[in-house]
Amino acid sequence: MTPHDQSANGDPAFAAQASVEVRDASVWFGQKVALSELSCSFGPGVTGLLGPNGAGKSTLMRAMTGLIGVNTGAVRVAGRDPRTDRDVHRRIALVPEDEAVPARLTAHELVAYVADLHGVGELGAVDRALTSVDLLPVADRRLGGFSKGMRQRAKVAAALVTDPAVLVLDEPLNGADPIQRLALIELFRRLGSDGRTVIVSSHVLSEVERLADRVLVLINGRLAAAGNHRAIRDAMDDRPRHVLVRADDQRRLASALLGVDTVAGVSVTGAGLVVTTERAGDLAVALAPAARRLGVRLLEVRPLDDSLDSLFRELVR
Amino acid sequence: MASIVCARGLTKRYAGVTALDGVDLDLPAGRVGLVGANGAGKTTLFRLLLGLSRPDAGTVEVCGMAVSDDPAGVRSRIGYMPEHDCLPLDQSAADVVATFGELGGLPVRAARQRASEVLDLVGLDEARFRPVGGFSTGMRQRTKLAQAIVADPRLVLLDEPTAGLDPSGREEMLTLVDRLGSFGIAVVLATHLLDDVARVCDHVVMLDAGRLVTDAPTTSLLHQTGAVTVDVGPTGAVALAAALVARGLDVTTSDVGTIEVTVPGETELDIVRDVVADLGLPLHKLTNRLTSLDDVFAREAPPR
Amino acid sequence: MSDPGRAGAVYDRGYRPYDGPLGGRPAARFALYRTSLRRAVGLRRPWRQKVAPAVLLAIAVIPAVINVGIGYVTRDTPAEGFEFITYREYVGVSSALLLFVALVGPDIVCPDRRQRVLPLIFARPLTGADYVLAKVGAIFTCVFAFSFLPQVVLFVGQMLVSDGALDYLGRHAAVLWQVPLAAAALALFYAVLGVAAASLTGRRMVAAATLLGITLVTSSVAGIIVETGSGGGAGHPAALLDLLSLPLQVRDLVFLGRLHEDSSLSGVTGGGAMAAACYLAVVAAGLAVMLHRYRSVEA
Repeated sequence: MTPHDQSANGDPAFAAQASVEVRDASVWFGQKVALSELSCSFGPGVTGLLGPNGAGKSTLMRAMTGLIGVNTGAVRVAGRDPRTDRDVHRRIALVPEDEAVPARLTAHELVAYVADLHGVGELGAVDRALTSVDLLPVADRRLGGFSKGMRQRAKVAAALVTDPAVLVLDEPLNGADPIQRLALIELFRRLGSDGRTVIVSSHVLSEVERLADRVLVLINGRLAAAGNHRAIRDAMDDRPRHVLVRADDQRRLASALLGVDTVAGVSVTGAGLVVTTERAGDLAVALAPAARRLGVRLLEVRPLDDSLDSLFRELVR
Repeated sequence: MASIVCARGLTKRYAGVTALDGVDLDLPAGRVGLVGANGAGKTTLFRLLLGLSRPDAGTVEVCGMAVSDDPAGVRSRIGYMPEHDCLPLDQSAADVVATFGELGGLPVRAARQRASEVLDLVGLDEARFRPVGGFSTGMRQRTKLAQAIVADPRLVLLDEPTAGLDPSGREEMLTLVDRLGSFGIAVVLATHLLDDVARVCDHVVMLDAGRLVTDAPTTSLLHQTGAVTVDVGPTGAVALAAALVARGLDVTTSDVGTIEVTVPGETELDIVRDVVADLGLPLHKLTNRLTSLDDVFAREAPPR
Repeated sequence: MSDPGRAGAVYDRGYRPYDGPLGGRPAARFALYRTSLRRAVGLRRPWRQKVAPAVLLAIAVIPAVINVGIGYVTRDTPAEGFEFITYREYVGVSSALLLFVALVGPDIVCPDRRQRVLPLIFARPLTGADYVLAKVGAIFTCVFAFSFLPQVVLFVGQMLVSDGALDYLGRHAAVLWQVPLAAAALALFYAVLGVAAASLTGRRMVAAATLLGITLVTSSVAGIIVETGSGGGAGHPAALLDLLSLPLQVRDLVFLGRLHEDSSLSGVTGGGAMAAACYLAVVAAGLAVMLHRYRSVEA
């Protein structure tokens, strides 16, 4: 069980041992309300931040790192206000999405510059940061010659050089090739299990599933859902679940399944039986015994809406 | 079926870097995914296909025409959707797409007609009369796709068409790409997202350091491993594993609470079913463990 | 049994192939020329973009109108064919034309580079040379029109106001080929310079400043050298440096067959030939710059 599952008051919007707290925060730019009375918190481990474009993810990230202020409510990092407290900037680092890096600098120079900026005096901090993103071998090459994925890693190294407790990353996998993506995912997981608070936003939901134990979904500046994505799906009990069941005798199994109380319907499709149920748990418990009783071989059982993709689609609908 | 792209010994070097090294390709007309480390190979390949660069060695043919013989002629049969922002911001989408239709050789009236049709296809309704400068990423991507197909190309080259799109936008774009295939337009989709390739492409080409490492139909790459993944929820996993081992099955527990069971034949599936029923566990998931494209990529193009 | 397939059919699944004519490279080139010209003149664009060409046209036509007007008003007085402005002088309303080219040239060229539209354009059946031809052609057309149309107004007006129209036509027949040729030479010069300057950068302001800077600086420098070198009277070879004057020298060659007395080159031996040579050199250099800038595009 990760610390996330044991949140302070049972509400998955809040993390245990929270390092970043957001309380009733609202941010507006003229008429546009970017965040609307948002309350949540983040703690050690990797948290995914999801939402459609324009939902407020970048705004939240900038508010957490003190780049913008909140109009009402409060944001606290380790108990301090990132907008006013300069000290906070050594504890929380942001890797923004599309910011260009100066092409003339080498990777080493960029990280060293950021280290100087924050007064990181420790020798070897730069090299350590570069090693953690696997850029030490090419540290003396200019950023202009880097691929997009390598530039991303350089930015992450610059963020890591202050050894922050909180790392906020806006679409960090953008432009990375498949190998780099896997390497970055592994890096972020490692940073999370080291006890850092890692907050990652991404549109590639299958990667967020691999990366984050906990997700927060923002829609229209409000918190739409929080927690483990399977648990969220279960919590959406007003929407029926769909499960694909493939067996060697579909029709007999179909009749038996219709006898289960919470099964609302069974469709026979080319790919197998699609069972619609109000409670996925009841179906799961009934499945193996029913098949055994009939002597039917189960070939495949697969929830069709289990992924973050389908959850997201349901939420955004 | 004739190949839509045919290359032999294709080589291109830039300033000391070998972007393509003696590559042989026979891409079928369909939906081909192009994946590669660092992107250098794919951009170069696109430029060579469009006749905007000349290869240092080797030949390439598109739609049966040798590119070096008539680059402009080849280009009249290809549509291109770049990754970066490339639309004139002060014109409306309808204007932009119609203009690019004319630039592709369509007569003025036909260009306007086709622009209207392809904008319908990509789902830009009243927005098409507004300047592109005010468009969201999703709308810009759709406009870019529209200009690529307005002159009825035989082949479209799509460079990261889902970049910057949120999940619903990505889903819509992939659906569009899927439909292009069904309209008889061959697609080469260059992307870093292997999920997109698995979802949409029937053929996969992988490049690494300028060399071709894979050129195969998608289905042949995603094959079954002779193992199944079983999910009975976190609390029951340990008990299930123990019981299956006791029945002589080969079991490994993953770190997300699921179990993998080696299934040499289908009778082992019945054992799993029976044990789950005996223990009264909820059977949430029972799936064949397929190699994913990630596995293929990691195997063929390992990090250096 | 009837064929069930004929009872209903689906015609349109969202996409129709195109089976009409495809023009290929010539059609693409002309289309680029046409759209660039449209943009230059401000068609299909907000009113702000139409101001510059409209003002220029007005400035260009006013002298013609005045001339014809005065001629009409004084037609009964015995004054011999009064000419407020000669056809020769009328070719080359320099400052207005220069400003127009500095404004509109970058406007049709720089955004293609700045907004990275070039890769899309070159993914069409077009080459770099086609692009140059189309853009230069568009500016040429504008400048030529703005030089030529007022001349038509002047000529027709004079013809109507004079005592005998056909007589006037006979006396001034040479003008009918001199004006178009001189105007074309002027238009080509400006078009090449303007588009060449614009091809250097993606920023319209920078391109405009570059164009104005080069022309005005060379003009001033040449002027100073000519003044100090020749003591204010005769011409001086340094006048060849004055870019703005080169098309005017060519104009004089067309109208008079030689340099004009007042030209800053007068009295320089072989001045006419040198002026023509410099003109061609500048045009060639401009074309070379443009072809270089558009020879290879990042796809």
